[in-house]
Formats: sequence, structure tokens, C-alpha cells
Amino acid sequence: MTAFRIPGKGRVNHDTAVRFRFDGKSYGGVEGDTVASALLANGVHLMGRSFKYHRPRGPVTAGSEEPNALIGTSRGKGRFEPNTRATVQEIYDGLKAESQNKWPSLNFDIGAVNDRLYMLFSAGFYYKTFMWPKSFWDRVYEPVIRAAAGLGVSPSEPDPDSYASRYLHCDVLIVGAGPAGLAAALTAGRSGSDVVIVDEHTEMGGTLLSEDQVQIAGQSAWDWLSATLDELKGMNNVRLMTRTTAIGYYHQNMVALSQKLTDHLAAVPGNAPRERMWRVRANQVVLAQGAIERPLVFDGNDRPGVMFAGAAQTYLNRYGVKVGERAVIVTSHDSAWYCAFDLADAGVAVAAIADTRDEIAPEFAQMAADKGIEVLKGHTVSSTTGRLRVKSVLVNPVRNGKVGASRTIDCDALLMCGGWTPSLHLFSHTKGSLNWDSEAEVFLPGDKTEACHIAGAGRGLWGIARALEDGANAGSEAAIAAGYATEVGLYPVEADRTGGGVTHKELPSDRDAGKAKAFIDFQNDVTAKDIRLAVREGMRSIEHVKRYTTNGMATDQGKLSNMNGLTIAADAVGKEAPKVGLTTFRPPYTPTSFGTFAGYHKDAHFELTRKTPIDGWAEENEAAFEPVSLWRRAWYFPLSGEDMHRAVARECKATRQSLGMFDASTLGKIEVSGPDAVEFMNRMYTNPWTKLAAGRCRYGLLLGEDGYIRDDGVIGRLSQDKFHVTTTTGGAARVLNMMEDYLQTEWPDLKVWLTSTTEQWATIALNGPNARKLIEPFVEGQDLSEEAFPHMSVSECKVAGIPARLFRISFTGELGFEINVPARYGRELWEKLYEAGQQYDVCPYGTETMHVLRAEKGYIIVGQDTDGTVTPDDAGIGWAVGKKKPDFVGMRSLKRPDLVAEGRKQLVGLLTDDPKTLLEEGAQIVADPKQPIPMKMIGHVTSSYWSEALGRTIALAVVEGGRSRMGESLHIPMPDRVLSAKVTETVFYDPEGERLKA
Amino acid sequence: MLLIHCPYCDETLPELEFAYAGEAHIDRPEDPSAMTDEEWRDFLFIRNNKRGTHFERWRHINGCARFFNAVRDTVSDKFLTTYKAGTPRPSDAELEELGK
Amino acid sequence: MNVQNPIQFEPITAAHSGPVELTILPEATRFNLRIDPAGLAAASTAFGVDLPERIGGWAESATRSAICLGPDEWVLLAEETDRQAIEASFAGIYSDVPHSLTDISDREIAIEITGDRAAELLTVACPRNLDAIAPGSGVRTLFDSAQVVLYRDTSDKFRIEVWRSFFPHVWELLIIANKELASGL
Repeated sequence: MTAFRIPGKGRVNHDTAVRFRFDGKSYGGVEGDTVASALLANGVHLMGRSFKYHRPRGPVTAGSEEPNALIGTSRGKGRFEPNTRATVQEIYDGLKAESQNKWPSLNFDIGAVNDRLYMLFSAGFYYKTFMWPKSFWDRVYEPVIRAAAGLGVSPSEPDPDSYASRYLHCDVLIVGAGPAGLAAALTAGRSGSDVVIVDEHTEMGGTLLSEDQVQIAGQSAWDWLSATLDELKGMNNVRLMTRTTAIGYYHQNMVALSQKLTDHLAAVPGNAPRERMWRVRANQVVLAQGAIERPLVFDGNDRPGVMFAGAAQTYLNRYGVKVGERAVIVTSHDSAWYCAFDLADAGVAVAAIADTRDEIAPEFAQMAADKGIEVLKGHTVSSTTGRLRVKSVLVNPVRNGKVGASRTIDCDALLMCGGWTPSLHLFSHTKGSLNWDSEAEVFLPGDKTEACHIAGAGRGLWGIARALEDGANAGSEAAIAAGYATEVGLYPVEADRTGGGVTHKELPSDRDAGKAKAFIDFQNDVTAKDIRLAVREGMRSIEHVKRYTTNGMATDQGKLSNMNGLTIAADAVGKEAPKVGLTTFRPPYTPTSFGTFAGYHKDAHFELTRKTPIDGWAEENEAAFEPVSLWRRAWYFPLSGEDMHRAVARECKATRQSLGMFDASTLGKIEVSGPDAVEFMNRMYTNPWTKLAAGRCRYGLLLGEDGYIRDDGVIGRLSQDKFHVTTTTGGAARVLNMMEDYLQTEWPDLKVWLTSTTEQWATIALNGPNARKLIEPFVEGQDLSEEAFPHMSVSECKVAGIPARLFRISFTGELGFEINVPARYGRELWEKLYEAGQQYDVCPYGTETMHVLRAEKGYIIVGQDTDGTVTPDDAGIGWAVGKKKPDFVGMRSLKRPDLVAEGRKQLVGLLTDDPKTLLEEGAQIVADPKQPIPMKMIGHVTSSYWSEALGRTIALAVVEGGRSRMGESLHIPMPDRVLSAKVTETVFYDPEGERLKA
Repeated sequence: MLLIHCPYCDETLPELEFAYAGEAHIDRPEDPSAMTDEEWRDFLFIRNNKRGTHFERWRHINGCARFFNAVRDTVSDKFLTTYKAGTPRPSDAELEELGK
Repeated sequence: MNVQNPIQFEPITAAHSGPVELTILPEATRFNLRIDPAGLAAASTAFGVDLPERIGGWAESATRSAICLGPDEWVLLAEETDRQAIEASFAGIYSDVPHSLTDISDREIAIEITGDRAAELLTVACPRNLDAIAPGSGVRTLFDSAQVVLYRDTSDKFRIEVWRSFFPHVWELLIIANKELASGL
């Protein structure tokens, strides 16, 4: 048994010992302990160092709001987590924890020199200190700040854990399982409504876990609790979730829950996720989050051993741990008196209770006297002593606003209470308004924006009796609103601990306020003095004070510091607190791992990857892949030892000389079908469609209503009423959406319907002089001769016995066919053609070769050679615009003044002076390289490749007035040199198009 | 994440199933060629950016696939109503009633 | 089995990954029917199933079924051998009742999800309230970032139809989630 553990006391399992390590040293705890409770049981208060001054710190709280006791935990390779709150992390056999922000050791930390240099680190020191010289920023300041910044050490290895997510729908979600939440769950659960109740702690009960003296309905608090939990667990309409924090409250009652599943386990079951994100949609929400104790602000209020009275009570009553041998209580609220009494009953010497108030309830004074505790009414605390642990406290009487002489009282624990702050973080996420209660000096919930109910201490109702009553009513209101009939239970309470108190700014002191280290934000080392300095330096809004001082910006998000910061800032400004404002609480309520947000989206499932039916063949044949929208596409097929350049050169050559094959399955395909199909096509696309015969194809160009190119593709007319439209790979969904939009909302009278068939078909493109020879033996039902099936034809026939849509089209300038077969047959047909193609040295090629071959022909790629501001004329494809059409999408815009103006950027070819020089895509183009900087940029390179067919590099570019610059030399300034190139036509290879007819 | 009532499915469903589709009640002109440059510019580009009641279009793209209209308060993000494409916009009086 | 390209004609059950049985269903005939609801009676006769009028409605005969996905959109399901007969039958009514009947048999892959915890499994990535999808109905919705058609046969039997290229992502997520259910956490 460790020195500070009280045998048999509390809710921990004293019989099950647990061993863990902290900073390399082995400690013993018991099952049910947190790292903090176990270390306290061993007499260890020092658990960390503060951020800025590296001051020694111990736990102030016993919960998730802890700002000080932050540790790193290690659970094996890749499983290191910094900034874990020791007050929350449960211990298990083998847990390894370490303190943070110290070097070389927690007891002796070099960085603590900052504490002596505190005058350099006043509010806004970042803004003041790192101003000049400018050149110091990159080389000196930023590296120094980065090295010093941050609390824990970021993990450096990939996280091997898995994370999960769920959607959940319920009638009533209850956040917080203290007395209010449990009473709400009982009422709502008994009504038959679907109830979810969550609590961030290991076990439910909230404050009941620390108050076993209370009698509820004739039972002890703990008996009532276990009976209540049994009843709730017995209802199949109630789901109870522990270790689950409601981290965010979003629109229409969507609440995000972060559930910790394995961090408390010594052995983790296979395939178990570490954490799970729940996205709960609740008809009604009950917020029963209770209240958070408020620190008192005095010099030395941050030493290890100084903590909340409520926390000491929790360590005592829930964990059976005494936080010291000799305690002093300093308080402005009745609740801390009960702490003193409980400690005294447990055998802790309580040296004194210093209450800032002059009037104390007589029964308190009597009880203190009975227990031999000295009572100091109307007292303040002016300082503490002790380096790594508090040794004594200086208390002074205050009479008529005058602070008297101090008296030193020895202690090893100083337990403070400055009142209680209702926990309204989630309510604030909903933008619910807060009302200032000037008497209690707290914010209480005001107008609601969501269907939520706030119960218990969260709306300023102290005591267990009131929490139970209020919770039962809130549960009833929620269930009724969700459509259920309820009966509200009664919970008579005895031995309840109610009471009130007052709040303070800094406690009055006889010491020099300028030298006081009276902390408000413990983690960020913000003192009362910093807040006042910020106001003196001109900060008036609390939002400015916050950013200037970093108050409330620590990992506890101001849970402890916001109210004290606000009241002191308000005092300094000379206004009432609500006039200075409260900073906005934002999700998440407590620090949440990235893994929880990522869920299943990691590694191979980071993003959905679409694969074609032929993808498997490409993978087996060692293709290099590239992402194209959500697809992964074969990029090139390197032979052994080939780099991309060589592979692509080989693929290009083989295709132009004999035969290449290409998986074009990702092309978007839309079936446009119905009696008005041709009318619809006429209205959507720039081209005329009426005279296109069935069995023929046409290049289709789609504009936005603004006249700019949106998409293109070859469109085949299968019959009078049916078109097979192809789109770009990335444009498929967008084009279908745009078509549906016009059809549904502008032309609902048209009898035509659209169906995406992108994935119905696997598409194999065959290009090269031997393309026809290869497929001819496979094709049934279509004569492939030049006469019967010329360029730009389409046919429904059979290929290798498979029903197919066969196109004679080309995106390479070679004789080309595209065979569409039902997707399930895609790979089978690919393999057959590949095998048969061996006699022609068939070469599978990827997207890079496709890009090169089309660029040699000057065929544009929408989205590469166009950027959303390119008209058909700009792109040099004005021929695709029907001149006699009455209307089509974007037609009117082609006459917009700025679209017909001179000097628009036009697509041209560029040939570099040095045929081996490859321009960079995206490189800017200037007319005169000698002009002063900033130069006038007249365009940019859109496509640039090595052309094996031409034995030199080629490029496409958009250039102002490009087509009137044929033969002109333009310049491309690069970081190391200026390149020059001549403007040419866009078709580099076979400009007569003879090869299409091969 | 919002809940949106699809007037075609007659169900209130998660926002993930929907896609925003711009301001509502902007009809494509019958004869664009007859429009002046200014009129055409206004049709193309000029939109309300209202603080408060906004008429907008959504598509139930991962559901019934229909475009429909909605009235949403851009301050509170609350939907006042949704209705099928092609039906007239609710009157101010109707909206006031819905706002209650 | 090659999960990327399941070219199979027999059902394939995933290796026992967890408490829910996951099966890739064999190929079937699948049409997308777009038609003005005024022509529904003729279409019902042509198909031999009374096409449901309500979105989400799912009607069946012995070998065929039809689900209404949108106000003018149905998916027709039939046996592999029925394809041409159905096409011919609809071609017969086209001149009187124009419509679009598009073969999407190969566009989608169907996964059957069966077991007491089937609905729970789906909640890992389906944002819909599954309690609101009654047995004998179905909807188009999302599973993670993939659009799917989700059919509910019975309280513990579902079917997902998903575009072929999205299939591996959906299938692998289902298996991960099924293993997660098996882990007990």
C-alpha cells in the first residue's frame, strides 16, 4: 500500500495492483486509478513543467479540464501520444508515461531559467521581441520559437492504430452522466424513447462518485447509482457510453462523440479500433455537463500541491487518495468546507480554512471547531512557498479593504475554490446566447438555437437534489418533445451539500502586484499582471486580450482561465464582464486525436480510389500509375531498367509505327435517349447534331453559359433517338449534373433522359497503322473497310463474341478504334487483343503516351490546355461551333464584349530554339526578356513533352494574340536562365491527317 | 451537418446526400440572343448575397437526383421550406408564417 | 478472388471476417428506366411487375423486381437470361410511351449483407437513419464517399449496389468494419 492511499476507501479496486512507469521509474497503483491518482497515492505531485516559464506543476483537477499534468504515453512503436492528461489516462500494467517540457529532468529543468527572465516574457512578447531585424526571422527567431514551442513532442512515426466511425440516430442524447444526466436518462428511458447517455469518464456518476455521503431515495449515493445504472442497462432502448466525450455540437442536433476504446487496456483485442467517432443525430439533446471549479488568483497559486478543493475531494472519496498530510483550504465558496471536513475525517491534518468572506454559516464554524480546524474568516492568500511542492502558505486578514500582515502556515497541500463555472461549451457551439448572472458572476444559458435542454449545475443549480430534480424534468421535456409520454420520478435527497459563495478578481495582497506570479492560465503561463498589461497596451475586447496574452489558448481551451481572465480584463477596462465579452468556445471540447477525425480514411482508404476493369492487368504488368480525379490510371508501362522518359518514347514509337493499346475505360459516358435527344444535344453542345446520321460520330464541345469551354468528347449517334456521349474522365459527373440541371429545370418538356454508363462499359483504344488488322478477325456484324466504316463511325456489333459498341475514332492521329464492351468482359477482351496483337508487336501504353500523341496532333485536353477562361476560338476550335444554330448553352456569351475583344490568349504551338530543351508546364511567357521586373506576362505553357516522332520537344501554350504571332520568338524566364521558343501552329505531326485513313 | 427536406422524397435527410446548386428563381432567358450585353451580364453573374432569407437550389444528388428549391436563413442556417423545381416562390406572408 | 474485378457468375462469400455475412451476388440483368410517371401502367405491363410509384418503393414478381429511385427513375432487376426479352418488350411500347431503357447490368456490383448486426455494420458509413428504411424498400444514398443503392430485404438482410469502380472501397470498408464488430469493441 502506497503512503497516501487509504485502505478500502474509494471506488478503486484495492485488491488488484497495477504497475506502470513514469519518467522511467516504476510505481504501483490499483485498478481504477488514473496516472494522476496513482502518482498522488505515491506522494508525487510534480508531473510536468509549464509552457513558457517551465515552472514545476502538478495536477490542479481530477478531470479532463486539467491544464498542468500533461504527459506523454507510449504504447509501443508508433504509439506515442503527447499532451495526454494524467488526470484522465487510466493506468494498466506496463503503461509507460513521461513528463513533458523539461530537460534534462523534471526535477532539474534548464528551461526554468525562463522563470527568472519573466520580465522578457510578458504579454505579447512574441509581438515585441521578434520584430527586427527582418533578416533574423527565417534564420534565428523562427527556428528558436519552433524549438521552444509546443508542449509535448510530436510523434514521428506513422500511427499503426486503426480508428472507427459510426452514425447513430436517437430520440434523446444526454451528455453527462452525473445526477442530472442520470435522472434525465431514467425519465426518458422509462418513456420508451431511444436514449443515448454519454460520459467522458471511466464510470458514470459524475459528482456522485465523489460524494458517497449523500442519501438518495433512502439509499446511499453509490447504491442508488449502481441500481440506476442497472436499470438503465436493462432497458434495450437506452445506450450507455463511457470514456466518450461529446466534442462538438453542430446544426440540427448533430453531436460528435469521441469514444476511447483501448487506451486503458494492457492487451488490445485484434482488429479493435483505438478510438471511434460517433456522429449522433438526436431529436432532443440534454446537456448535463455540470460545472467546473474556478481557481483563485494569488501569487504562487501554481505550485505542485496547490489544487482544487473539489479535486482533492475526488481523489479522496473516489480514488481513496490523500493529496497531502497537512492541508490548508483557501476558498470563497462553501463547497470547499466539505472538502476540509472529508479530509479531516480521513485523517489528514487540516491546518486552516481561510475563507475570503467575513460571514460564514454558523454550522460550518461549529463543524470546523469540532474537527479541530482553525477558521480564518475574511482572509486572503498573499503567497506560497516551496520549489517542487508547496511548503507553506501566507495568509493575511482583510479588514475594510485593507490587507493586514501575513502569517505563514506550513502545508503540503493547498486546496482552493473560487466558485464554480457552469460548463456551457457545447451550448456555445450552437451559438446559444449566454446571460450574465451578475449576482453569481457566472454566465448562464440564454436563448437556444437547437432542440436542447440544459440541466443541473450547467445552468447554475448547485446540489445533488436540484440536479436530480432538474435532470428528471429535462429528460421528461426531451422525451415529450420527441413524442413520448413521461412520468417524472421523485428523488428525495438527504445529506446534500448545497451552498454558495462569491467570486474574486486577484485576491487582495500586501505584496507588490508587479512581482506577483498569480496565474490565470496555468498551461500558457498567463498571469493576472499580463491581462492588465494587455489592457494598458490597448486591448479592449476579450478576443484581443486572449490573442495578445494567449489566455485561454491552452489545451484546456480556457476551461479554468476564461472567467478569471474576463473578470480581471473587465476590471481593467472598467466595464461589466458581459460588455467585454466571452471568447468563443469551439469544437472539440477536449483535445481529440487526428485519428478519430480520420476514422477509416487512412492508408489505402485515405481517399476512395476508382479502378478500371483492366487495372488488375496493368498492375500485374508493372504499370506506373497516376491519379486522374478519383481514378488511378496506368501512366506508363516501364520495361526493366526504363525510366519514364524512355518508356514513353518507346510506347509512342510503337504506336505510331505499328500498334498501341490503351485502357480508356475512365472516359465519362452518358446515354442520351428519347424522342427529343437530338434537340437536347443541339441545345447543350456547340455543334449541330440534326444532320449527324445514325452510325456516325462527331467531336462535341460543351460550354458553360459564360461561353468558356467546360468539356469535350466524341459523341456517337446510335439511332435516331439515342446518343452515346463521352466526356473527359474528370468531367463525367459534372457534365451529367449540368445536363440534368438544364433538363430538369429549364427544359422539363423535352422527352429525353440521361443515364450514366461510364461504368457499364470497359473501353479499349487501339491506335496505329495495324489497328484494323488486329481487330478485323474479332469483329462480327460490321464491315471495317474504309468505305463501310470510315473515320468517325460507330457501330453496335460483336467483338470476340461480346456485344460491343465499336467506334472508329482517334486521339492520336493514327488509325484508331475504341471498343466498348460490358465491363465484366473488359479484361478478358484486353488479354485476347494483347495476345493476338503480339504479331504486330502491340504496345500497351498509359496516360503519358496518350498525352504526348495527342499533343503532337494539337488535340486539347480540357483542364490542361484550358482553364475555365478559354473560348472555342481561343482554343482554335471555333470550327466546332455551329454557326447557324438559334441557341445553345453559352452561345450568347460568345458575343460578350470581352470575349470578342482583341488580344485574348490563344492556343498556339511552341518550339524551343534548342530542340532538346523541355519547357515547364505552367511556365510564364514574356515577349521581351530584357524588360524590367515585374515583367508583363503574356501567357503560359499548358502542355510540354518530348516528341519521339519529331525527335525534339514540343509545347502548347496560351499566348495573348497568339495566332498573329506565328514565327515570332517568345521568351520563358526560368530561375536559372531565359529560354526562347518560336510560335507555331498547334498541329506538329501529320498536319494533313493522312494517317487517320491508313 | 444540416438536415434537408427533399420535396420529392418527402423525407428529411442528411446534408451529405445533397449538393448546393446556386441561387434559385433565375430562369434562363427564352431568347438569349435578344438580350443586351448588360441584361446578359446580369443573368450570368449578378446574384443576391443576402443576409437572411435566401432562395436557393439544391440537388438531392445522392438520392432521388432531383433539383429543388429551398428558402434558408443565411444567418441561422435554418431552412424555412423546400419546394419542387418549377413551383412559384413562397410569398413574403407565407415565409413569415414559416419563420414562426 | 480478385476483389478489384470480380468477374464471377456464382455468389462469393467473404472469408469469415466477422459476425455479418458479406456476399458478392452473381451478375444479373439491370436496367435504368426513365419514364414519365404517366406511362407507368404501360411500363408495368411491359416489365410484368407493378412499378412502385413512391420513391423508395420496391416491388417484385417471382424473378423480377423494380425499385423507384426518383420521380421518373426506376431500376429493373431480372435474371441474366431475360435481358433481350425485356428490351424487346419495352421497344414495343416506345412509340406510344417514350422512355429510356438503358442497360446498366455491368455498371454495378451487388453485395448482400446478412445477419443480426447487418444494420449496425452499415452505420459505419451510411448517414441515413436505417430504421427509416422499412424492409421491402430501398434508397439511393451514400456509403462513405460512394453513392450506392441500398435495399432492405428484411430487418437483418440488406443489399448494396455500387458502381464497379467504387466497389473495392466499399467492400474493403465492410470487411474492416465486420472485423471491428468481431473484435468486441
